[in-house]
Amino acid sequence: MGANTARLLSFQILARMIDVRQITKSTKEGVPILKGISFTVTKGEFVGILGPSGAGKTLTMRCLNGLTRPTSGEVLFTDHEHNLVNLTHARGRELRKARRQIGVIFQGFNLVKRLSAIDNVMIGQLGRINLLRSLVYGFTDDEARQALAVLEHLNVAHLAHRPVGSLSGGEQQRVAIARAIYQQPAVMLADEPIANLDPTNARKIMQILTPLAKEMPIIGVFHQPDLVMEFCTRIIALKEGVVVRDGDSKMTRSELVDLYGAELSEIEASQRILQPA
Amino acid sequence: MNVSLDKQYLPSERYKRHAAYLAVLAVVIIGLCSYFKFEPLLFISDFHYMADLVVEMTPPNFEVLWRKEKIFASILQTLSMAFLGTLAGGAVAMGLAFLAARNTTPHPAVGAVIRTLLAIERVIPSLVILLLFLIAVGLGPFAGMLSLAVGTIGMFGKLFANAIEGAEKEPIDAVHSVGASKLQVIRYAVIPQVLPSFIANLFYAFDINLRAAIGLGVFGGAGVGYEISMAMRLVRYRDALALICFTILLVFAVEKLSDWLRSRALGQDLLK
Ligand SMILES: Nc1ncnc2c1ncn2[C@@H]1O[C@H](COP(=O)(O)OP(=O)(O)OP(=O)(O)O)[C@@H](O)[C@H]1O
Ligand SMILES: [Mg+2]
Repeated sequence: MGANTARLLSFQILARMIDVRQITKSTKEGVPILKGISFTVTKGEFVGILGPSGAGKTLTMRCLNGLTRPTSGEVLFTDHEHNLVNLTHARGRELRKARRQIGVIFQGFNLVKRLSAIDNVMIGQLGRINLLRSLVYGFTDDEARQALAVLEHLNVAHLAHRPVGSLSGGEQQRVAIARAIYQQPAVMLADEPIANLDPTNARKIMQILTPLAKEMPIIGVFHQPDLVMEFCTRIIALKEGVVVRDGDSKMTRSELVDLYGAELSEIEASQRILQPA
Repeated sequence: MNVSLDKQYLPSERYKRHAAYLAVLAVVIIGLCSYFKFEPLLFISDFHYMADLVVEMTPPNFEVLWRKEKIFASILQTLSMAFLGTLAGGAVAMGLAFLAARNTTPHPAVGAVIRTLLAIERVIPSLVILLLFLIAVGLGPFAGMLSLAVGTIGMFGKLFANAIEGAEKEPIDAVHSVGASKLQVIRYAVIPQVLPSFIANLFYAFDINLRAAIGLGVFGGAGVGYEISMAMRLVRYRDALALICFTILLVFAVEKLSDWLRSRALGQDLLK
C-alpha cells in the first residue's frame, strides 16, 4: 500500500463524521423497532431521511446524539479535533464534549416554554461556557447580541423577548432552528425542521440549511419528498426500522409508492394544496 | 368497525365505578359518625353555651389595642414568625426537593433517603416539633419560627419534588443535547418550569403558616395568639374579641397582599 493510498484512506475515515453501525433498538417487551441500521455521513452532505410515520426516524436521530442508547450496534462520531467518539458508550464529560458539536432540531422543538426566545437560543452554547458563570450570572451581552443576529437570520428577531410558550408552532420551529445554528455544531441533526411551516417558509428554511450543509453535514428527517429531492444531496429511506434505500437525491414515483404505501396520497394531496404560487 | 373500546373504558362502566366509590365513602362516613357518637343535633341543642359566650364577649373592647402597645409588637412577632418560617422552610424544602426528585437527584439512593426522611418528618405533629424546640431554644417566637420552618419543609419538600418530577422531559432532553451538565440542565430546563409553582406554593405556605403562627403562639408564649389566650384565661372576653377581630382583619389584609404579590410574581397572559 503506497503512502498516497494510506493518506487517502485516513482522509476518508476522517471525513466520515457520523458512522452508524448496525444499530438496533427494541422496547422493554422485546419488540424490535430499529432492526440494524447502518450508514455513514461525511462532510458536505445534506442527507434527507424519508419514511412513513412510525418507521423509526426520530428514534434513529436520538441514537445519533446519545439521547437514546441503541440495544446493539454503535454510533461513531469524529469530532472537529479528529477524535473518534463512540456515542453508544460515551458517558459524562466525554459525551457532553461530543454533544456540543452535534446540533439537534427536535421534532417537537423541545424549547423551554417559560424562557424567552433569545434565552432558548443562548442555551445552544451552554456546553461551551463556564459552568459557574452559567449558573450564577447567566449569559453575557455579547452572547445576547450574537443570538439576536441568528434570530434575525431566521426572521424572528422581533420575538426575541417573548416567552416561547406564547409563540406559534412555526415561530417556535424557527427558534429551535436558531438554537441549533447558534450552537455552531460540527454536525446538525434536524427532525422534521419544516413540518410546521407553510411551503413558502419551508422553502426559505431549506434555503438557509443548504449553505450550512457545506460547513457541517446535516441529517434531516422530512415528510416532503419534493423538497428533499430539490435540496438534499442524498436520500436515505427508512421503513419499519430498516434502511430500504440509500443513494442519490432522486427517487422515482414508484419508489415513493413502495416506501409510503397509502400514506403517499396524503403527502401528495397536502403538497398540491399547499404548493406556493 | 374493527376497533372496540376495552370494557373498562366504556363511559357506562366508568359511571358505575364512580358510583360504587361514592357509596363506599358514604357508608364509611355514616359508620364513623355512629361509632363515635357524633351527633349533629347536639350542636344545636347545646348552642346556648355558645350564645352565652358571645353575649359576654360583646361589645369588643377595642381600647385594648392602643392601651397596650405590646399588642402591636406581638402582632409583628406573629407576622415575622410566619414570614421567616416560610422563607427558611421553603428554601430548605427546595434544596431537598432537587435532591429527592427522581429526575434531578445526584443518586437514586440519595433521593430515596431524602424522600423517606421527609415522609417521617411529615407524620410528626407540629405541636410535638414545637415542644422539642421549646426545650432546645426556650419559650418565644424563635421556637415558633423554627417549628413552622420544619413543618414547611415536610409539607412542601414533597410537593416541590413532585413538581420537579412533573417537569416536561422534552426541553430537558434538548438542554442535555447541547452538551450541558446536570446543574446547567436544572438551571435552564427544570427551574424555569417549576419556579411558578414553587412561588405559588410558597405564598400558600405563608397563608397556612400565618394561621399556624397564631395557634402556636398560644403554647409557645409568643405573638398575638398568646395575647388572645391570656385574655381568655383572665376572663377578659371583651378584650379577647377585640384581639380576635383585629387578627382576622390582619390575616385578611395580609392574604390580599400576598395574592397581589403572587399574581405580580407569576406574570400574566400577554393577550388582552
Ligand atoms: N419510548 C418509546 N416507547 C415505546 N415505543 C416507542 C417509543 N418511542 C418510539 N416508539 C415506537 O417506535 C416506533 C418509531 O418511532 P419514531 O418516533 O422513531 O417514528 P418516526 O419515524 O419518527 O415517525 P413520525 O414520522 O410519525 O415522527 C413507533 O412505532 C413508536 O410508537
Ligand atoms: Mg418522528
